[in-house]
Amino acid sequence: MDDVDYNHAERKAILEDGAMSIESATRSRREFLRRGGCGLGAVALAALLGEDDRARAASEQRGTHFAPRARRVIYLFMHGGPSHVDLFDPKPELAKYAGQPLPESYGMVMTRRKVAANPLLAAVWPLRPRGESGLEVSDMLPEVAALADDLCVLRGCHGDSVNHPQSVYQMNTGTVLMGKPSLGSWVSYGLGSENEDMPAFVVMPDPGGGLKGGPPAWGNGFLPATHQGTPLRPGANPILYLRPPPEISGERQRATLDFIQQRNAEHLAARQDDDQLAARIKAYELAFRMQAAAPELVELAHETEETRRLYGIGEKETDEFGTRCLLARRLVERGVRFVQLYAGDTNGWDAHNDVAKNHGQMCRRTDKPIAGLLQDLKRRGLWNDTLVIWGGEFGRMPMSESGTGRDHNPWGYSMWLAGGGVRGGMAYGATDPLGLRAEQNKVHVHDLHATILHLLGLDHTRLTFFHNGRDERLTDVAGRVVTEILA
Amino acid sequence: MLNLQAFAIILLTAAVATADDTATLREDPITDGERDHWAFRPLVRPMPPDVGDSAWPRNPIDQFILARLEQEQLAPLPPADRATLLRRVSFDLIGLPPTPEEIAAFVADDSPLAYERLVDRLLASTAYGERWAQHWLDLARFAETDGFEHDKLRPEAWRYRDWVIDALNRDLPLDEFICLQIAGDELRPGDPQAAIATGFLIAGPDMPDLNLQEERRHNVLNAITATVGSVFLGLQIGCAQCHDHKYDPISQADFYRLRAVFETAELFKTRPGARVVQESGVAPVSHLMVRGDFRRPGPVVEAAFPRIANVWGDEVLTPGASQPMSGRRTALARWLTRPDHPLTTRVLMNWFWQQHFGDGLCRTSSDFGVMGDSPSHPKLLDWLATELVAQGWNLKQMHRLLVTSATYRQASRAGSPEWSDEQTREAQSRLERSLAVDPDNRWLARMNRRRLEGEAIRDAMLAAAGRLSESRGGPGVMAPLPPEVQGALLAGHWKTSPNVEEHRRRSVYLFVRRNLRYPLFEAFDRPDTQASCPRRATSTTAPQALVLMNSEFAVAAAQALVDQVLSDVGSDSTARLELIYRRTLSRDPSPSELDAARQFLQTQSAGLDSAVNNQAALVDFCRAMFNLNEFVYVD
Repeated sequence: MDDVDYNHAERKAILEDGAMSIESATRSRREFLRRGGCGLGAVALAALLGEDDRARAASEQRGTHFAPRARRVIYLFMHGGPSHVDLFDPKPELAKYAGQPLPESYGMVMTRRKVAANPLLAAVWPLRPRGESGLEVSDMLPEVAALADDLCVLRGCHGDSVNHPQSVYQMNTGTVLMGKPSLGSWVSYGLGSENEDMPAFVVMPDPGGGLKGGPPAWGNGFLPATHQGTPLRPGANPILYLRPPPEISGERQRATLDFIQQRNAEHLAARQDDDQLAARIKAYELAFRMQAAAPELVELAHETEETRRLYGIGEKETDEFGTRCLLARRLVERGVRFVQLYAGDTNGWDAHNDVAKNHGQMCRRTDKPIAGLLQDLKRRGLWNDTLVIWGGEFGRMPMSESGTGRDHNPWGYSMWLAGGGVRGGMAYGATDPLGLRAEQNKVHVHDLHATILHLLGLDHTRLTFFHNGRDERLTDVAGRVVTEILA
Repeated sequence: MLNLQAFAIILLTAAVATADDTATLREDPITDGERDHWAFRPLVRPMPPDVGDSAWPRNPIDQFILARLEQEQLAPLPPADRATLLRRVSFDLIGLPPTPEEIAAFVADDSPLAYERLVDRLLASTAYGERWAQHWLDLARFAETDGFEHDKLRPEAWRYRDWVIDALNRDLPLDEFICLQIAGDELRPGDPQAAIATGFLIAGPDMPDLNLQEERRHNVLNAITATVGSVFLGLQIGCAQCHDHKYDPISQADFYRLRAVFETAELFKTRPGARVVQESGVAPVSHLMVRGDFRRPGPVVEAAFPRIANVWGDEVLTPGASQPMSGRRTALARWLTRPDHPLTTRVLMNWFWQQHFGDGLCRTSSDFGVMGDSPSHPKLLDWLATELVAQGWNLKQMHRLLVTSATYRQASRAGSPEWSDEQTREAQSRLERSLAVDPDNRWLARMNRRRLEGEAIRDAMLAAAGRLSESRGGPGVMAPLPPEVQGALLAGHWKTSPNVEEHRRRSVYLFVRRNLRYPLFEAFDRPDTQASCPRRATSTTAPQALVLMNSEFAVAAAQALVDQVLSDVGSDSTARLELIYRRTLSRDPSPSELDAARQFLQTQSAGLDSAVNNQAALVDFCRAMFNLNEFVYVD
């Protein structure tokens, strides 16, 4: 956003308030912010979204460090941990040794449910080469498989914990501990929103609830609250408390808000030095704009029947996730910076008992919606600057559990990236011949985060926030940008 | 089963790792230069300085403040008017607004000691402990569930919360307050209340079903050590769990030596009544953990206090074979509460000042290290630290001292209905100068304006509506959640308390689920209970507006306020508006505000013909009042 836009937004707010006293207060605040030495674009955004003093002090962080390859992110979080060996990482050796224990040469393995000595389980479906690239994808994902030439599969991913919540936290915040800022909140802090009516970071949880570890997964940690993920749901009430109770009409609400803003303007006039009071007046305007913008955002009536079919909307198994995928496209289209969707309730992809049954269902729920999303992004010109991320908090063990299931595996698994700035039709890295551990071109969660930030034009070593005596970063003291996959 | 060969390989690997890691402990000695950092210097009680304007100071605090103001060629603002002062000190001490009756009585009280009497009355109120307990619970990371995947209930956790409230209300001396929370079980064996106090140590998150119990214990011990370091020593010693502190003279060994103090304890012992800390009587060998990795024990360390703060060379007792108690935590508690400890009293009095004034004298209230802020008034801080001890660690006495100072009583803006034009002009010129040369208000030539916390906002709404429940203590109450929030939780994680009366209790009694903050509190920056929070953020966001405009709670509170006002003053429309102003903003409306209110009610009810709809306009008016900047900020 540039200077002109800011002045426009400011004037609009002043006109709506009908209170000229705001202008002088805003000016003094602007001077105050300018003294902080940051660019006006960032300041405008800060003013619109509301900030606290810590954010102001650090707002020179706003903006990219170098030219971005992607401007927005859609993160498809497969909650529970999808199995790489059954979906994206073909392991002929696993079929060969199926029914036998893990060879001794693999050494000791830490597992969640003591499955180390269980017989190996072959992939429950065939994985075949697809498209021109020949990238292998499972038969259970036919729609995504047809787009294999667009995917960059990272086959050497690894993390640090065999437990769900720790791994959910690590995948989202870089650490297995609870309460650190999430990737989305770092991106919001680093880049802000491109839409003045919506927050920069929007989350669409699975309607089944029960995310392991809960809302801290999209928390702001020590970053200002402005940067936390705002949960959004399809339907009449997309954002918590977005609308007043039904008996309060839109006119009544607007008149009440006008009355509040008039009183606040008078209050501010007697306290013109107070930047926070002025920011709060702005926050009320943003809230009102969200009230108008969010229902439009989740209103799918204007989408064509063909588009809805593309996402599987209207079909029993794909309707729910398809709707959220379509909402994700609408969000990024409207300038929301980071959209995260969770697929999977408290069980999700957590196939301890029966991989074929569990993953069969999860694949049927998500395959068409995800393929529809990728195609829709392409045809709308959003593909080149939208990064799509697919993956869970970990993968699954090559050994069986309860005969036909698999336990958690953080030691080696697959994720894929697609769209803005990454090469398509590519597999990068590898697990060992059985798919137990990442072995070649390994990508730790820190490396993944560093790469995502890099694609967005952010240097992970420079995106910092001073907290408790230390310049904190998403990647702690680690992280390597996986330059090999950049387009 | 592992075969022997594989097992041998593992043993060999372990042996190599151990040999590598037990290399002699290398630790840099602490230099004189490091000891000379302001926070580590010995405490010396300074003399309050002489000031030019000797009429202004009301107590020694003001001498320190005024001396500095005079040095900067600044002058304080005049005292705030009575209504403003009353609202300020009420929220500050008890977290609630004054009632219309209290306002009338205080404004009419001409006695020169009216304010002092008011302060005494507030400090004697049980609401005081409820207010200040929340500040302490922020430090303690208090929640009533574990967090992580299962976020399981800690059924008796509320007993620790009640213990804190009660301790504050009966004015338990601060040194004892600290000692009991660190070593209550050792200091008063058999006293269940003293055992409950140790809940402080284990109030944080925990994952009982973590794969490796060794890792669980490691995490919890590290968090306890980091919390004690941050709360009492004002040092980020948690930074030293993986490596020597980058800036401060705290080695990794210092961290693990302090941690060793807690290693003799059985954590999470569930005693009848509560989850507490108990001594095991066993002293395990303590190690430095290489890179903070629980799988990599390094050199052996002995329990000891951080060297930088242990100028006397105090030692931690080693338990004898026959002693049931190791006494290590007792030794720590006694050491922390030494009257001459350079850090504890400075850190706590700085935090205390921060809660009253908005900012600490040292603004990084949990980092007194070299990367932290230098205090604005180091001598005042030292005077307060020594005064605390001189007053027998009596906290209420310290509250009294702070809030009766002329510094605290200053206006926060250059305007008041009680001032003459000339006074106002003089105040304006002082404020302009203060804003110009001291925009961050370090020298306190004016009082800081404060935003209320979410808990205080909710309590004030209930109090304004005359609906705040007076019942105290007991298990946390689950007030209703919006269905979309409830739906995101695991089944059974929020069983709305069946007794609706309970939903109107003070915020400190609402159930604290670690994985889900009550939406109104979350919007207003309630800390997440993952780590000790010495100072809350005050962000300004759109969701705050949504929750105060649209939530069922806000609409119901507005309706309740209307009901209350109608029953108090009946049909007199001016009296209604005046009462709503008093109940929400603690003051009378001006004539122009009355006009604006009437205008609003008229517009809002235009086209609506029944009495019910006129009431709806009044509900909108009350809802608007709850959303005013003046309602959520205190001058």
